Amino acid sequence: MKRSLEKNRGMFTVMLLMVFTATACSSGSNNSYTVIHTIDANSGSEKQATHQKFTIGIVPKVMGISYFNVAEEGAMEAADDLNVNVIYEGPPIADAAKQIKVIRRLINIPVDAIAISANDPEKLLPIMLEAKSKGIKVITWDADTLPEGRELFVNMVETESLGRHLLDTLAWNTEEKGEYAIMTGALSASNQNEWIKWIRQQQREYYPKMKLVDIVATDDDPQKAYETAKQLLVEHPKLSGIIGNSSVSPPAAAQAVREARKTSQVKVVGLSTPNLMRDYLKDGSAQMATLWSPKKLGYLTIVLAKNLLEGKPPYDGDDIYNVGHIRVNGDTVIMGEPLDFTAENVDQYDF
Amino acid sequence: MIFKPSTLFRFKNYRLSSKLILVYVLLSVIPMSLLGLFSYWQYEKSIEEQIGEYMPRFLMQANANITKHMEDFAELDTLMFNSDNMLAILRRDSYQSRSKLNQDQYDVNNYLARTYLNTGNPDILGVFLFSKNRFFYSARSKFAGLGADDALIPYGQDLNLTGKAKIILPSQINLVFENNEPYVLIMKQMNDVDNRKSLATMLIAVKLSFINNVLRDFEQNNTADLWLMNREGEIIFHTDEEKIGDFDTEINRYPILNGSFRKGSGNKAVIVSLSESLDFNWVLAHSIPLKNLTERTDLVRNVTIFVFICFVLMTSVLFIFFAMKVTRPIKKLSRLMKEVEMGRFQVDLQINSSDEVGTLARSFNSMVATIHELIETNFDIKIRQKEAELYALQSQINPHFMYNTLETINMAVEEGRSEMVVEMVTLLGRMLRFSVSNKNKYVPIADEVQHISNFLTIQKYRFTDRLLFEIDKKTDIDSYFTPKFILQPVIENAIKYGLETRKVLDIKLSISREFGAHSGEEDIVFRIRDNGPGIEQERLEEIERMLRSETLVGKDSGFGLGNVNARIVIMLGEEYGLQLHSIHGKGTEVMIRIPVINKEE
Repeated sequence: MKRSLEKNRGMFTVMLLMVFTATACSSGSNNSYTVIHTIDANSGSEKQATHQKFTIGIVPKVMGISYFNVAEEGAMEAADDLNVNVIYEGPPIADAAKQIKVIRRLINIPVDAIAISANDPEKLLPIMLEAKSKGIKVITWDADTLPEGRELFVNMVETESLGRHLLDTLAWNTEEKGEYAIMTGALSASNQNEWIKWIRQQQREYYPKMKLVDIVATDDDPQKAYETAKQLLVEHPKLSGIIGNSSVSPPAAAQAVREARKTSQVKVVGLSTPNLMRDYLKDGSAQMATLWSPKKLGYLTIVLAKNLLEGKPPYDGDDIYNVGHIRVNGDTVIMGEPLDFTAENVDQYDF
Repeated sequence: MIFKPSTLFRFKNYRLSSKLILVYVLLSVIPMSLLGLFSYWQYEKSIEEQIGEYMPRFLMQANANITKHMEDFAELDTLMFNSDNMLAILRRDSYQSRSKLNQDQYDVNNYLARTYLNTGNPDILGVFLFSKNRFFYSARSKFAGLGADDALIPYGQDLNLTGKAKIILPSQINLVFENNEPYVLIMKQMNDVDNRKSLATMLIAVKLSFINNVLRDFEQNNTADLWLMNREGEIIFHTDEEKIGDFDTEINRYPILNGSFRKGSGNKAVIVSLSESLDFNWVLAHSIPLKNLTERTDLVRNVTIFVFICFVLMTSVLFIFFAMKVTRPIKKLSRLMKEVEMGRFQVDLQINSSDEVGTLARSFNSMVATIHELIETNFDIKIRQKEAELYALQSQINPHFMYNTLETINMAVEEGRSEMVVEMVTLLGRMLRFSVSNKNKYVPIADEVQHISNFLTIQKYRFTDRLLFEIDKKTDIDSYFTPKFILQPVIENAIKYGLETRKVLDIKLSISREFGAHSGEEDIVFRIRDNGPGIEQERLEEIERMLRSETLVGKDSGFGLGNVNARIVIMLGEEYGLQLHSIHGKGTEVMIRIPVINKEE
């Protein structure tokens, strides 16, 4: 009996020892790394690397004029920066039917997205819907169409403030009185018509002594614009101001005014590029040009088109690299504030 | 390692108590300790997992916070665009005169001081602008190592497309502030978005204290290290200030840069959590020794182990006691069994519990008792049967009777009564043949009665008129059987006592079937009635007592009644046997009751 007890005790000690060695034992070699938890961080930002190269077609109102040439530079810069194919193609004259042909060609290439600066808000609608039905993203830039046709509109500046501002710039130079005329691109171009609406509104509200005598179309053709300007000066001898509503108009008007030697009587303001206006501003045949950077607009259009293709719609306050913060109002993107070019600062700009 | 094969093999040879204790250890101590181990291990692991899951998240948060701060700093370049004047100066690329350049420099430096240092973020140490070979600056303290010649900083190229700010560490640039104030530089490319041209490169020197502020909010544990390093391992910020600028040489060996892992093992194990910021290409790291995390758990563990040991010791003692208690009666039982084996039946296993052991003990006791009883009865029956046979032999014709009969025959021969002689010899011969020939215990009643008739006839020859007898067969005596020699001793007895006192002895034998009160059936009853002297009351009782007493040993062998009774009892059961009725001076009646036996068995 006693022997068996001692035997048991021995067995017990062994058991307990085993338990304790097991407790004390924690194996492993030094300096090993055992992953406990992994966070899949920033996975979203890697996506871009894998996509195929997009092709984006961008259609100006017309080819060959300075404004759209500069916009092409910006679009091509974006093409380089974002690694997308950009096809910049427009009609030789600012005409909706010719623009439709261009768009059809782009659809057939095919492209992934089309950005259109529309010559006509309604006539382009069928072809835009056709493009849409083929899975092409359609946006507008510079000049809008009816909203059914496109997903978003890349607007340069707010139409209301630009329209009001344009009249203001004229008013500063004409002592807020006198007859004035508006030279617009095409009577069908929606953006220009919007601005005209706000020009008239501003005048009605603040400048009762001013009078709009004529609105003429230039078809964004520099030669036609020049002819039209000359005609205006002839038809309205008491004219004291011309507002150019499309980029070819102010230089044409300034040219006509300079040649008619009416620089002191007729003031020229409007939307045009610094390069086109530099000489006229400096010699006083034009007083002020207002515009945005068409380069920036071209660049932004491509960025937004690409973002849209990647499923990233723009949002208000979005900080676009190399552009800055944009504003978004419904389906309209507003690039920023207009720039005023005068004799003093025009040299700062090279477009 | 403990159970060698031979040990295992011998397990079945262990004592029961050893087995019980071993089983207890196997079933309770080992599983319990394993369970304890497992749960502690799991707990430690879960702490590790918790911190491993939570820290990277927090680091990500902190990273986001720092990044937010950094981005805020990086956004500061836009303040320059707010001023058309500044924009015009920055766009300018050539000067007609030195004074014009100096004026611009003055304007810009003033603007920087106003915008960034006086009203801006207090963490900004200085702002430096490189633009077209011009160098503008404004700083809170004196600095050295940065001038217009450094404009073509090599890192200017690679950030062109990203548009993001880039961090420049003090090691990458010569810039030194007074008092060696630690800093990081945030470099930002300023673009002229209208002309699509590069305008300037802005460097903002930021005090590291802001990182400290962000991190302090998160981690107050002094044993933990928090540091920020770039992908090359250069430490930008460390909670231990002396390590700022050093390199974390292990960065390339870290298995992941987003998440957490355990480095090393045992006491030196460290949980490292990392979060990488892609914006600035840096890694925020946090490391804490595992033992600091488990400090509180370790106390719990030690207490648990102590309690566990106490528990094991206590339960072991209890269990040993229990095992002993279970095995003690079994040991006692086996000892008692040995005694029974030796033939000593007078044992008693005294266990009064009502459990299985108690039942076993009771069964054992009753078994031993039953065995004992069986042995005794079988043994006694054998002895009694032998005795009965012996008595049966004794009951046969005794020499005395032979002598008397032969004497009578002799006298008859002398008297010349040859007929009588022939008759007597014939009778005697039959009697002898009956005695010798029949080896069976049972004989037909007819034979037994014939034998008695022969006996009485011979006696009548001897005693002539003094003996009268009568045999009355009230049943069919041919078909039933009876033990041998049950009547002769009774008749002998009656003749012996009757002729002593009576001049004429009258013996009546009747055989009948009667309903017996004892057996509950019809029995065969022999009645031998005489008119002898009878038996005195006391004597009668004595005889009765003698008949009922079981043992025949030591009985007067000459007493025939006891002999007959004992034989019947042994052979046929206690319901049967002899009964005496006697009236003193008048006669005696002996009743012999046997069952109805149909055939010879």
